[in-house]
Amino acid sequence: MSHEAPHSVASHHDAPHYVAARVQRALAEDERTYELGIRVDIRGDQLFLRGQVEGAERRAHVAAVAVENAPGLTVHNEVTVVEVREPGEEETL
Amino acid sequence: MKVRVAAVGDVHLGEDIRGRYRPRLEGIEQRADVLLLAGDLTRHGTPEEGRIVAEEFRDLRVPVVAVLGNHDYQSDAEDEIIALLRDAGIHVLEDDSMVIPCGEARLGVVGGKGFCGGFAGKCASEFGEPEMKAFVRHTREIADLWHKALKGLDVDHRVVLSHYSPVKDTLAGEPPEIYPFLGSYLLAEAVDAEGADLFVHGHAHAGVEKGVTPGGVRVRNVALPVLRRAYAVYCLGGEDPESC
Ligand SMILES: [Fe+2]
Ligand SMILES: [Fe+2]
Repeated sequence: MSHEAPHSVASHHDAPHYVAARVQRALAEDERTYELGIRVDIRGDQLFLRGQVEGAERRAHVAAVAVENAPGLTVHNEVTVVEVREPGEEETL
Repeated sequence: MKVRVAAVGDVHLGEDIRGRYRPRLEGIEQRADVLLLAGDLTRHGTPEEGRIVAEEFRDLRVPVVAVLGNHDYQSDAEDEIIALLRDAGIHVLEDDSMVIPCGEARLGVVGGKGFCGGFAGKCASEFGEPEMKAFVRHTREIADLWHKALKGLDVDHRVVLSHYSPVKDTLAGEPPEIYPFLGSYLLAEAVDAEGADLFVHGHAHAGVEKGVTPGGVRVRNVALPVLRRAYAVYCLGGEDPESC
């Protein structure tokens, strides 16, 4: 019966916990990204993205999808592009 | 009697990185006798990406054996991707085995994409809703097929190739809450029952390279973000110090 109910529902929905979950899910399910291994952390109005992708374009897409799904937050894209080195030493088993 | 096995997983090829992997495979025939691909060859699992994978890994001077990963299933085009790879001369395992002659030695490779469900004591069971039963049954049926395939292999060295992990060891670095989606102990149990020289997997991008099954089979997570090198090379038959 309280007229405050809708407001409290809206604010719960925007709790950092759910926003982070929404961003993580979007990164996994949005076809621009399809990235399952990106860590999303929110501290205050700052959103941090961490993990690795295979190319610079993919790194940019990750940030774009996060920005779309977290309006009002400042997105810090700390995702790195995997650097592939030479094969190196073999291991004897 | 040594066999040098090169392996990498999770190359996640797509249009944006087309042609970038191929140069790294130059000279692989001097380093290894076979190349294993541990799934997640594409990102969207489309036939277009399957074609890019085929171009990147075709006509190498070593045999190439692949399994698919969850990303390669995303567009319901897994059968088409498998056909494209096979047309390019790449062997694809689907819960079966193949034997590759490597000089005097015979290498047996068993595997498929595998599946998940968690690790002993902390895992899903075939209980309750049909969706839950189907989830766990999928892993169990795969493990049974691998067990049978290993049993029938008369070779010098046996390697299991999977996308999902058989142990927690190689997941260290991943959030523990998602371990049940990264692998299953049923895969390890099946392999330990018959024994193998090596279990290669991918999927856990944030994990670590080295682990071991409860039965003592060496496990290697070869996901590209873990290796950070074009591929790893494991030399089997190393008891003879001269051999590797
Ligand atoms: Fe992957
Ligand atoms: Fe995967």
